[in-house]
Amino acid sequence: MKKRKEQKELSSTMTRRMLMVGAGQILLGASLVGRLYQLQISQTDNYRRLSERNQFDKRLIQAPRGRLLDVHDRLLAGNSEVFELRVLPSRVADLNQWLRRVGKIVGLRPAEIKGILKTIADQPDFLEVTVRTNLTQRELSKLAVLSPVLEGVSFRKGFRRIYPQGWMTAHITGYVSPANKKDIKENPELRYLPASRIGRAGLERTFEFNLRGAAGVERIEVNAKGKPVRVLRDQQASSGEDIKLSIDVSAQSFAAERLRRGKSKTVPLENPDVQRALLNNAELRAHVTTGDSLVLQDERGRLVPPESGAATVLDIHTGEVKLLVSVPGYDPNLFSNRLSVQDWRRLSEHPRTPLLNRVTSGLYAPGSTFKMVVLAAALEAGVVSQRTKFDCTGGFEFGDSTFHCWNEKGHRYVDAVAALEQSCDVYFYQIALKTGINRIHNMAQRLGLGLTTGVGFSDEKVGIMPDRDWKMKSRGLAWTPGETVVAGIGQGFVLTTPLQLAVMTARIANRKYAVRPSLQAVTGRRDSVIFPPLDIAPEIMDVLHRGMRAVTNGSRGTARRYDLAQQGMAGKTGTVQVKRITKEQREKGIVDNIDRPWKERDHALFVAFAPYQRPKYAISLVVEHGGSGSSMAAPIARDILDHVLELDTQEAV
Amino acid sequence: MSALQLLLRLPWLLLISISVLVLIGALALYSASEGSWSPWAERQLLRAAVGTVLLFLTAFIPTRWLYNWSYLGIILIVLFLAALPFIGIGVGATRWITLGPFNFQPSEPAKLAVIVALSRYLSSQTPEQMQSILTYFPVLVFITVPFSLILIQPDLGTSFMLLIGGLAVVFVAGLPRRYVLAVILAFLAGLPILWSQLYNYQKARILTFLNPDTDQLGAGYQIAQSKIALGSGGFFGKGFLMGSQSQLNYLPEKQTDFVFTMIGEEFGFIGNLAVLFTYFIILVSCLLVALRARNRFGQLLCTGISVMLFLYVFVNIGMVTGMLPVVGAPLPLISYGGTAMLTVFIGLGLVVNVAIHQHLHDNDLL
Repeated sequence: MKKRKEQKELSSTMTRRMLMVGAGQILLGASLVGRLYQLQISQTDNYRRLSERNQFDKRLIQAPRGRLLDVHDRLLAGNSEVFELRVLPSRVADLNQWLRRVGKIVGLRPAEIKGILKTIADQPDFLEVTVRTNLTQRELSKLAVLSPVLEGVSFRKGFRRIYPQGWMTAHITGYVSPANKKDIKENPELRYLPASRIGRAGLERTFEFNLRGAAGVERIEVNAKGKPVRVLRDQQASSGEDIKLSIDVSAQSFAAERLRRGKSKTVPLENPDVQRALLNNAELRAHVTTGDSLVLQDERGRLVPPESGAATVLDIHTGEVKLLVSVPGYDPNLFSNRLSVQDWRRLSEHPRTPLLNRVTSGLYAPGSTFKMVVLAAALEAGVVSQRTKFDCTGGFEFGDSTFHCWNEKGHRYVDAVAALEQSCDVYFYQIALKTGINRIHNMAQRLGLGLTTGVGFSDEKVGIMPDRDWKMKSRGLAWTPGETVVAGIGQGFVLTTPLQLAVMTARIANRKYAVRPSLQAVTGRRDSVIFPPLDIAPEIMDVLHRGMRAVTNGSRGTARRYDLAQQGMAGKTGTVQVKRITKEQREKGIVDNIDRPWKERDHALFVAFAPYQRPKYAISLVVEHGGSGSSMAAPIARDILDHVLELDTQEAV
Repeated sequence: MSALQLLLRLPWLLLISISVLVLIGALALYSASEGSWSPWAERQLLRAAVGTVLLFLTAFIPTRWLYNWSYLGIILIVLFLAALPFIGIGVGATRWITLGPFNFQPSEPAKLAVIVALSRYLSSQTPEQMQSILTYFPVLVFITVPFSLILIQPDLGTSFMLLIGGLAVVFVAGLPRRYVLAVILAFLAGLPILWSQLYNYQKARILTFLNPDTDQLGAGYQIAQSKIALGSGGFFGKGFLMGSQSQLNYLPEKQTDFVFTMIGEEFGFIGNLAVLFTYFIILVSCLLVALRARNRFGQLLCTGISVMLFLYVFVNIGMVTGMLPVVGAPLPLISYGGTAMLTVFIGLGLVVNVAIHQHLHDNDLL
């Protein structure tokens, strides 16, 4: 009986416990359902995104940068296709080892590896990083063989910025270099382009947004090993805008070579004398190590580097810049990839500052080229007439100092035209004094001096066009009449850029309107370009034109030997003292320019327009420490104008 | 017993559910090989055919024979397990024995063998004996010997499933309440000791489970990818053969342990629920057979097998959904893998056997 009861009890315990086991299973099973609900319904959006990110590598396709073309569609800045080696850091377990391995094939220096690691550390690891550009065919095939075992590697066709004209147009094009952290902060859209380059100088910088273009977006379905399975193109890359410039490369290169040659003879680099001179002459060495093969021999038989300076030619009606030369230049191709430290040092420590765009950022006292401004201001103010004559005795006593004329013997009686022709300083001392600095300042600005031209370089300089207020503000001192006297011959405080002088000349040449320079080619009708009026009386313009014509054409003109053969030109020389000549030196007799150290020689300037009868082009030319405006600058300017006009007739045929 | 009677006694719902799971499994394996019957799906179907034969063989042999030969299974299995370190193969852990053309994993049938042996032993104890602690010493041996042998392979998951399955049988058999409490306490006390005995990779798996985000590309990778696959499947799934996680190989072991994830990615919440529901029917059928059986041997056997099946399902799905640490546990009848599948078929054959012979009393077996 007891046994039966026990058995029954056990049986019911077992039944109860079986049901408990069943209940436990259902409970735990329900927790699985709950978990699935959580994953597949509540959080599904989140996981869908993650799955998408797994499935696709988003890649941005580099857009080709817009080109810079000259007026005849010759390339100033373009792109060449290169093969790039990239890595997706998130797929590489040991980046150090990876880079060392790849580095052996493509030749990465430890410093480069360091740089790449830093770039990788700076950005999210699902973005590709460029390891090397410009892969050679040999490297490419070696890497292709290895690629199955190199995780995260990819090859991409990329673009390298090229400047076929090299240093010749360096200051126009400027250059690009890889975008850095700061650029990316300012332009977040650059972030996703592994090889983005950004314009640093010149037009590359000015037109950065037009040139850049928009990157394309590509989604690449990849499997878990990172191997692409298929490509979906979401957005085509659209290339940047091409920009057609008014520059004429053939005029540009002629001008650059002509300016560099100056008055000297060229000497071949292989010449043993050159090799010897290189050892002793640091300046010459600096030129040759920056890749310049031109060596000159000056009048004294010394080996010298090519001349440095600036030349620019404007169309006087449209303001189009026909050429814009600043020498020495640099090779902008060097910057497209990471610039090496040595190259940077060579450029930045070069004695003649090749990175400086002398046309728009070089500041020079205009010297005698300023005399047109002073004369126009005086005539407009009515303090003199064109017939008023002054007696030049070689000097001008004012207060207790003497202001000398460049011609110690004096020009005797000169009127306005003769004063320009012979560049008589005494004449201009006197009329400047009568006119006053504020009127001169005013006329200068109307002719474009002391104001930025807006030609399109972000580092363009304003220069200085002094007046009473300027002196008070900048020096805290009152203007003195002696300073007006010095300003009368374009020295003292006055500082201008070569481009401003070209603008001044163009405005004088067209007589009527305040033309502004532009580097972009005018499309459509040329007379549709309209500028504000100058409002200078035609009689005054006549005097300026006649005076400037006499400079090259008059029997006593300072550039009478350098007139343009057939069409004739009108110009003005300028010789600017860099070092004050002391009384002592003057008494001893001034040392000939060429015998002074280069840095102490005068700047040679020349401005001109041509043809005289129907002006078309204005030129401004500066030869740094080139000596005299007449013997050095005028012939160069004449040759350049001649060439430009010659090109025009060739085109017309 | 007439043929008609026999047919009526067959647990049809159970058999149909098994077929459904096998078919789902075959489709999943077809998808896992990117839409191809080879290498997995066709072999799996072949095994299922073999399994079905085994199921019916097991089902129709007299229960008394089973009862009498109950200890043979565990003895063989323990021998195999003990021999594993010397004749076994495997990378990292030695789990496999080569038998002719087959690789055989003795730890899978070990679970079943322990349940069979325990059912046999405990059902032969009188209610009086069930109260005595001495009765449980053989039980301890039945469980701990295979448990330890599997644990040192090392195979944490299987050994624990064996332990829990065995304990469930003991529990249902009527282990006195005081001992139930003692077992739970002993289990908790043993955890730290066990922890200290674990291999580093096992510790890492457990730590990763506790902090899943620490190691996305190491131990956490599989689970992270599995969750992405499941979650991105959403309610209806991405469609057959369209699971990007699975098809692009982000999902590891998609044909074995992570097959449920793959079903979830391609057929969504609905697909997963259907699979779970089918298991639910199988488990309930097993328990119903247990409840209807008139003999304790059958009752314990069916409950034990139900718990074993449940543990497979729970551990596998718990693992792929990130609820449990990563331990190798296949999804019964679906995952690609021979030993586990055949073990499950034999286990279910035992359940069918009990169902057919549910009228037998304890005394009929003696």
